[in-house]
Amino acid sequence: MMVRWTISALGMLFLCLSTYEAAAQRFVTREGTATFTSSVPLHEFSGTSTSLNGLISVADSTVDFFIDLSTLRTGIGKRDRDMRETLDVKTYPFAEFTGKLTSSLDISSPKAQEARVEGNFSVHGVTRRVVITGTLTPRGEALELEASWILNLEEYDIEPPRLLIVKVDPEQDISIKAILHTQDP
Amino acid sequence: MTQRIVRALLLVVMLVPVTTANAQLERQLADPGGSVDELFWAPSIVTLPTVTNVYPGNLNFTIHHSFGLVSGGVDELFGLDGAANIRFGFDYGLTDNLSIGVGRERFDKVYDARAKWNVFHQTTDGRIPFEMAVAGDVGVTTLKNGLSFNDRLNYGAALLVARKVNDAVSIQISPLVSHFNVVYRDLDRFGNPVEQQNTHVAVGIGARWKVRARMALSVEYVPVLGSRSDNTSDALSLGVDLNTFGHVFQMFFTSTQWMTMQHSAARNQDRFWDGDFRFGFMVNRVFNLTNDY
Repeated sequence: MMVRWTISALGMLFLCLSTYEAAAQRFVTREGTATFTSSVPLHEFSGTSTSLNGLISVADSTVDFFIDLSTLRTGIGKRDRDMRETLDVKTYPFAEFTGKLTSSLDISSPKAQEARVEGNFSVHGVTRRVVITGTLTPRGEALELEASWILNLEEYDIEPPRLLIVKVDPEQDISIKAILHTQDP
Repeated sequence: MTQRIVRALLLVVMLVPVTTANAQLERQLADPGGSVDELFWAPSIVTLPTVTNVYPGNLNFTIHHSFGLVSGGVDELFGLDGAANIRFGFDYGLTDNLSIGVGRERFDKVYDARAKWNVFHQTTDGRIPFEMAVAGDVGVTTLKNGLSFNDRLNYGAALLVARKVNDAVSIQISPLVSHFNVVYRDLDRFGNPVEQQNTHVAVGIGARWKVRARMALSVEYVPVLGSRSDNTSDALSLGVDLNTFGHVFQMFFTSTQWMTMQHSAARNQDRFWDGDFRFGFMVNRVFNLTNDY
């Protein structure tokens, strides 16, 4: 009887430690920005959201990020409103990525490390499999993330807007920056 | 048996945090129940201000143009040869809810300054079912006619109450007061004195119906209540708005040749349904004057 109780107690202790470790290796955003850059001939404009939310779980390599698209700002209110309409934010409020970190990450090293993630990126109700590369830099209890990729609006059934008769380039440069901190267990 | 159940429960309790730690983030809106977007595309329908305001740090430049009466026929190229009125205007967003502006129109060489303040916004969760704003405009006529500065002033003040009924339709009701410090006492062509009123009260009615993603039909009607100047009529405008990513183009047929709400309510002399309307257009372009982006 005593042996069985001891084994149970050890098992529970192990689970406790596993939980603590999992939480300790789970990083969530404290601050994050996502920026897109659009271009038309002789003109370029950017939009930024400072409401990037995300987590990186080192234990199981899970990567999960999203932004509320209505938080994107381009500096011109009318353009923001038009953009929300183009993206049909009312129906599809989020742009989101969920996938796995496929490169190794040494969180004990303070060096910038190339990070590669594979997963599903969704916007405007369309989900596509993507591979994104960036850098992850451990900073003590935090992780610094930078990544960029090109998003083709037409692949997500988004009609590129027009400036008068000139169509905005469907290929948008997307970049994200975030500081992620360990989540309290 | 009891011990087994307790141990099983403990295991479940211990496992739950591990499972939770691996779950996705909960998707949460940054501003749930926030303001409804775009009741109107532009700060004005034709002569009536809309509840749509200029964003802080943005400058809305407007060119407002109207021609002569279409009834002039082909000889007058349907009004394009007629006397045209034109107003250049600039509106600047000071805060999320307050804008100020200046403009100048050709007729009577009127310079005007105006402001618009959004009192509250319609919300997406229905908590506030409509949007309310107040707008004011002060004009000064600069014609060389010997009048003092005070006698040249005119005023318009409106309460703007609007609701976006659905994604396509927005409506606005705008009780307004128009006042001119001095009005002329003319004679009509039969030699009878034309009575003019200094003050007019009207209820502006406006609506927008978005027929396509980038195209909307609009209407503006300004019926005057109570006494009014002789030979004046309620202004009516019917238009089409085109919204591009950078501009809003508004094209319309309108009975009034005037371009501020106080002039539209007090001085319109043409009757739309008698065929006395003219073609006009308005171009809106927004610039960002901040270095934030």
